[in-house]
Amino acid sequence: MAKWGMVIDLEKCVGCQACTIACGMENNRLPGENWQDVIFFTEGTYPSAQLKWFPRPCQHCENPSCMAVCPTGATYKTEDGVVLVDWNKCIGCKYCMVACPYGVRFYTDEKPLIAPDMRKVYPSKDDHSWNPPWKMPDAREDWKHGVGIQPHDVVSKCTFCYHRVSKAPPGTPDLDPQDPKLREFTPACVVTCAPGARFFGDLSNPESNVSRMIGDKRGVRLLDQLGNKPQVYYLTGVGGAVPSNRAIHKKS
Amino acid sequence: MDLEFLKTAITRRRFLQASAAAGAAGAAGVGFNGLGLRTLSEAQASAAPSGGQTVITKSFCHQCPARCGIDVYTTDGRVHAVFGTLDNPLSMGKLCPKGHYGQYFLYNADRFKGPMKRTNPKKGRTEDPKFVPISWDEALDTVAKRMNDLRAKNESHRFGLIYGRGWGATDVGVLQTLSKLYGSPNIGLGHSSMCSDGSEETKKILDGNHGYNAYDYANTNYMLVFGAGFLESFRPFNGNMQAWGVMRTKPAKTKVTFVDVHLNTSAASSDRAVLIKPGTDGAMALAIAHVLLTEGMWDRDFVGDFVPVTQPADPDAPRLPSYKFETGKTIDPATFNQKWVLGLPEWWNAVLKDCTPEWAEKITTVPAKIIHDVAREFGTTRPAIAIFERGAHAHTNGTYGAMAIHSLNALAGSMFAQGGMAYQLKSPAGKWPVNLDDFMDDYAKSPERKKPRIDMKGTDKWPMVSNMLQEVAKNHNAGAPYKLDSCMFYMTGPIFSGPDCTAWEKMLGEIFVINTSPFPDETSVFSDLILPDHTYLERLQVADTYPFQGYPISMIRTPAVKPIYDTRVFGDMLIDLGKRIKGSTGEYYKQLGNTENIIKGIASIFAEKPGDNGVNSYESWKEKGVWYQKPYLYRQIRGEFFEWDKLTQSYSKPMKPEEVKEKLLKTPSGKFEFKSGYLEEEHHVHYLMEKFGLPAEMIAFPQYLPANHAGGGDLHFVSPKLAMQAEGRSGNLPHVTASIQPSQGGKKTVYLEIHPETAAKRGIKDGDRVRIKSTVGSIEVYARLYGGIRPDTVALPMIHGHWGMGRWTKNSGVSGSTNEVTPNVSDAISGQCCYHSAKVFVEKV
Repeated sequence: MAKWGMVIDLEKCVGCQACTIACGMENNRLPGENWQDVIFFTEGTYPSAQLKWFPRPCQHCENPSCMAVCPTGATYKTEDGVVLVDWNKCIGCKYCMVACPYGVRFYTDEKPLIAPDMRKVYPSKDDHSWNPPWKMPDAREDWKHGVGIQPHDVVSKCTFCYHRVSKAPPGTPDLDPQDPKLREFTPACVVTCAPGARFFGDLSNPESNVSRMIGDKRGVRLLDQLGNKPQVYYLTGVGGAVPSNRAIHKKS
Repeated sequence: MDLEFLKTAITRRRFLQASAAAGAAGAAGVGFNGLGLRTLSEAQASAAPSGGQTVITKSFCHQCPARCGIDVYTTDGRVHAVFGTLDNPLSMGKLCPKGHYGQYFLYNADRFKGPMKRTNPKKGRTEDPKFVPISWDEALDTVAKRMNDLRAKNESHRFGLIYGRGWGATDVGVLQTLSKLYGSPNIGLGHSSMCSDGSEETKKILDGNHGYNAYDYANTNYMLVFGAGFLESFRPFNGNMQAWGVMRTKPAKTKVTFVDVHLNTSAASSDRAVLIKPGTDGAMALAIAHVLLTEGMWDRDFVGDFVPVTQPADPDAPRLPSYKFETGKTIDPATFNQKWVLGLPEWWNAVLKDCTPEWAEKITTVPAKIIHDVAREFGTTRPAIAIFERGAHAHTNGTYGAMAIHSLNALAGSMFAQGGMAYQLKSPAGKWPVNLDDFMDDYAKSPERKKPRIDMKGTDKWPMVSNMLQEVAKNHNAGAPYKLDSCMFYMTGPIFSGPDCTAWEKMLGEIFVINTSPFPDETSVFSDLILPDHTYLERLQVADTYPFQGYPISMIRTPAVKPIYDTRVFGDMLIDLGKRIKGSTGEYYKQLGNTENIIKGIASIFAEKPGDNGVNSYESWKEKGVWYQKPYLYRQIRGEFFEWDKLTQSYSKPMKPEEVKEKLLKTPSGKFEFKSGYLEEEHHVHYLMEKFGLPAEMIAFPQYLPANHAGGGDLHFVSPKLAMQAEGRSGNLPHVTASIQPSQGGKKTVYLEIHPETAAKRGIKDGDRVRIKSTVGSIEVYARLYGGIRPDTVALPMIHGHWGMGRWTKNSGVSGSTNEVTPNVSDAISGQCCYHSAKVFVEKV
């Protein structure tokens, strides 16, 4: 069984946010409900001013804190290493959102970021929280795996595009979107990434490209000291940076 | 205003007429369930879970001019995804963020549902037009009657058609036929002066090619960028990012120096960010050229070299030094043999000899040491390219400054070289089914049709420009050369996007306005008729590529779904209008039929010129979405020009100088002209002397002249385009507004970037509401303190501030268009609108 993981080369990432928008399209997210966000930081004054950014999907941890605190077993880890929420079991208690050190979980019934509320503009007549005219094919929806338009009062998150990845031919070491045979099984953010900063593959296969890159290019994991063991690795190269862990004091 | 008219438009339900004229049928749309015959809400209500087959239609993106090939995924009658087409040479399976907006535009809740007419005769920002639905016949009859009446009065020139993003034969091509047959020079007023004409004009002046460049990024080793948002807005953005991934990780990594006025993602991604005083980029380029010459780093193969010194015959006499460029000293032109350039000694003597980095530091504020460093890197790394766009040339001195930048490409020998730059080759196109010349009547042929365009392009006022759209409202309001009677708008809204844009409110208040946008916008608020176009995923349409790697590419859009509403693709709208014009004009359009006939005509040539992907017919073109023939045909190798040889698959057919002049360096001399023969043409000399106050002997050289910063304020004001901005169309997409970054985005709004010191002096804190004021107007926004912008400059992206666009733009936090504070000032040579040249005041509200 594969252990799916992602490698993001920060040296190549140019902060365009195509990953964010492709994910929102593929997974029918609300405005600002960015399962795959890119976080921007600014610091200092020119000529030593910095503008940095950091693409951040769910880290699909080996030891997910969110799973540990879930009272209903709604959050679970699949055999192929993906952390998912079963919307049939989720009660929207948000413990997982508190427990997740990466801030990558989203509650359905937040106030809309931009008015008017898209959920009211495209209302659902059934159990779904809304009904966008561009929603994914009916057959794809899969609440058990947190795929589709979710019901009210649940938590949602990046699924590594489980509806795509889970259909990949068994034993595939890497899901390369430039290979026409594998493209449709590759997560949307990886498919579209124009500078080619994203890679997706089987971390348990030592011959996979992702495994080799983590070795050759000294891949690092976000907040590694917490012991969650993310399955998302970052390559910092020259110019790429993982956010430092120092405290940030904000003046009120 | 409360956009009451939107409610009318939205609640009205309309069954589509299943007439063929309503647009092209979903040719490749097999397997979907007839959505097009019902309104959207009805279709949704009855969409049974079908587990339906997914159909992928080929199209090309609409969010910028680059034209990336896209796969449009349609299942259960819904378009739910857009990805780059894997075997398309431009998109290569990838997209930029904007590429994924297609479905949001297609299903946007604020779309116009069909033709409408205004019933409130009063016009104004806050006047509800009180639109009521009408049929296409009534709408087109109304326009045709106005056109026929004008023609009967000998006033056809008073009918205007202004267009923005044109795609090719089926829209711009059609309006050009209407201009000729109907007889109005104002049908087809283009927007290029409000785009980047300064770039194209600069290249025409120096190397004879009026166009944007095709760049060989993957093979370049040094990139010097002046004011072109390479990783935000420079085109093709998707291609640039793919090239970036290669450039920055190839074994010899491409080094990048980025010159701008604030730290954006492009600058932050580069090896060196240089923040330069706005409007002075040309001075830095001149200093780099000075160093390249004084330190002997120019490309001798392309440029040429000094002749050897003739030493004294007497062996005991002291040896003479070699000729060289020395700061402050002129050279004897006879001592320098120029190869593919013209006027280098004269340029050195007249301009460059004094343009030291120390001189440039005083003008640009960039330390001389940095300029030296950049020059040495640029001069010692090959191939090296210098790129510039609007940040550098959208100033009153823009063309002269841009000439200095582009000259670096000649000095580095990068013109037509591997890792350098070339120009885009045109695609072949088959003939249209009907010959226009057979239908020109006496009225159309009359010398009376030779009236000046309302924008005064090509007159003594603007003798060298391609278009002058920003002058139209000004000229109309002044009644000089005359007033328009009616005007159609296609894919542009200068009432929001033009400089000093409120001038358009006066003009549009006086004339009959026809808007063809599928979406509400500010033009609509002033419109008398709404003739809504399809959105792009519903269209059958063709285009040539935007300059990419030089080889020809032709794109086609096929409809992913049948039109959701009662809309009509713009080209067919024009043809159906033309059919209603009296006389032979009407006959022409009746015979032409529709845009699909044009496309079939164009595609007919592919039978004899099949694409590399096997496209050889209309049908195969639709199936693949693209026709192309690689490679680019010409290359300069160590100062010699070669043409591609198919047999040997190499650039090995030597080109004669006259072939180089005809095909590549299209200047009067057939060389890259540092002393421009085009500027020296007699009818330009006096104009340039007057406009720039230059002596006749100076007008032909790249040089630095101080920019004229209108607006009356104390801070430079720039209005850049961010990576997620889809030109003027994304303001009403909440998915865009919510995610826009990096420093100027803010989930609900966009911020004015202001330096902390500049803010402190004005009592402004982060997040404060501030007013931006100039001599032409004022707007209010929220401030963001940012140490990555120059203290003398503020920046606000031009996405928000809409007042007629739709429900999601109402609370954007920006009170008006950036162009309400941007004065209408243009570069006298290119006509480039000086969007980045204004000076404003900023104060706390």
